[in-house]
Amino acid sequence: MDAATAKNVTRMSLRSLRSQALLLVIFSLGVGLLAWYLLARYGGIQPYMLPSPASVWDRFLVSLSDGTLLRNTAYTLSEVLAGLALGVATASTLGYILAKSRPLEQLLAPFIVASQSVPIVAIAPLLILWLGSGVLPKVLICTLIVFFPVLINTIVGLRTVPPDLRDLMRSLQATRWQTFAKLEVPAAMPVLLGGVRIGATLSVIGAVVGEFVAADRGLGFLINQARGVYDTSLVFVAVFTLIFMALTLYGLVVLIETRLLSWQTRAEGTVWAHK
Amino acid sequence: MSSKVTPLLILAILAILLSACSPTSAQEQELVHVRLPVGYIPNVQFAPLYVAVDKGYYREAGIEIEFDYSFETDATTLVGANELQFAVVSGEQVLLARAQGLPVVYVMTWYEDYPVAVAAKAEQNIQQPADLAGKRIGLPGLYGANYIGLRALLDTAGLSESDVTLDSIGFTQVESLAADRDEAVAIYTANEPVQLRAQGFDIDVIPVSDYVELASNGLISNETTIQENPDLVRRMVEATQKGIVYTAENPDESYEISKKYVEALAQADETAQKETLDISISLWQTEPPGQIDPQSWENMHQVLLDMGLLKQPVDLEKAYTNEFVE
Repeated sequence: MDAATAKNVTRMSLRSLRSQALLLVIFSLGVGLLAWYLLARYGGIQPYMLPSPASVWDRFLVSLSDGTLLRNTAYTLSEVLAGLALGVATASTLGYILAKSRPLEQLLAPFIVASQSVPIVAIAPLLILWLGSGVLPKVLICTLIVFFPVLINTIVGLRTVPPDLRDLMRSLQATRWQTFAKLEVPAAMPVLLGGVRIGATLSVIGAVVGEFVAADRGLGFLINQARGVYDTSLVFVAVFTLIFMALTLYGLVVLIETRLLSWQTRAEGTVWAHK
Repeated sequence: MSSKVTPLLILAILAILLSACSPTSAQEQELVHVRLPVGYIPNVQFAPLYVAVDKGYYREAGIEIEFDYSFETDATTLVGANELQFAVVSGEQVLLARAQGLPVVYVMTWYEDYPVAVAAKAEQNIQQPADLAGKRIGLPGLYGANYIGLRALLDTAGLSESDVTLDSIGFTQVESLAADRDEAVAIYTANEPVQLRAQGFDIDVIPVSDYVELASNGLISNETTIQENPDLVRRMVEATQKGIVYTAENPDESYEISKKYVEALAQADETAQKETLDISISLWQTEPPGQIDPQSWENMHQVLLDMGLLKQPVDLEKAYTNEFVE
């Protein structure tokens, strides 16, 4: 099989796999929606306990048209993105330093593990207390929640760089920067982006936790407010918006991953074609 | 044959009657388990409930109480769905819940006075609601009793939300006021003022109830329970009232009883905690006990309509009943 044919076969099988996956997603969503409808309609459950999909949709349209949903979504999203950016930046930088120095890693390990073992919901009120009620504590909560998976993945990613490749770089008399840019970053990238994927979804949780404690804007605030007036449909709207936000962020990271790691697919394709 | 059967029959009937009259077995069998959400963490403010359990008032009424410290909105929803029969919640919750179709009914007033107030350091010279104009006021969030009480208070001075700056700070009012992050804070009359004074701050407190009577904390049930088991509601109300009356008359003993139910109370600042209980007692005094004041419900209804939290009027006659306290 020549390289061009192999490439075509790979593309076709990828396309069919994608459409199959899409069909499965649509099917599972449809089944979930139907089960929800049947439960709300015939399950003997009051609408204030479980509203029907139709009433949630109606509430969604109302909150969309009066601007409530967009305003609060934009606020939460800004916290999430700021927290994610800060978390990824600090965790990957520290991760790089720790990956290079085991003694430093051992020195800081108790603090790092402790920071992760404390439930974020328990420290959120303290951050509000120390930093006030503005956007800063919420961003910091997102940062904290993103920090650990990105840090660990950075360390693991850098430590899994094959030693023979390091030897190769050394034999080519590569500078420290060249080793970093041409070897360590590309080699660690798949694992690092895996951490960012987890961090992206976790940061949404972080923002909501902060807004639950003290906020006058955001989707967490909207849930609190809706609960306060027994508007369960609006609670569902806010929850679905959060899910959508997390999925979108996750999808974006996957997209970035596909772009950044396309060299890997190409390399694998080439290896496969030569077999 | 009939002459032999008759004495046996009489004996059997007597045995059944005797067993039915045996007090302990009957009470044990008839005990109804009630999970009672109170809307807050274990606290000395719930002393009447602890007293009613400790003194056996609930048991005498055939009720076995299990305390539940979940949020009052969740409790109200569960009572509305008849998953629970009773809860202790604030009056506005009943109106907000009924507006969404939850068939909850307020059956007994516990707090005569709405327990929310605004506190400020004395140097701010905030003595009356009108003095709040232009001030930055901290409150847990734009929902719940603190928010509603504050809005009602502002309204008495002709002020609206745009005349002040509301700062959503969670339950950190004491710290925010102490650190001068806010010029005033919306608080519970029996809680934060005691803590602030204990920390040495000279503060002014403006209770909402000094300016407007609002439907406050009390016992709720639901339409199904009231219809199908009114006797249970009556017994629940009576036992709870006994606890309230006993606590008001014997605060020191009630405080000691509360220690069995509030884990942290034994190590807490006794002077401050007793003051919290004393202030709470001063908010309870209803005459006759448990009586619901229709005017306070009219007022609360109007406040919620003005705030836009109620889109349409609610039928107040269905929201509360004095049937069980008369």
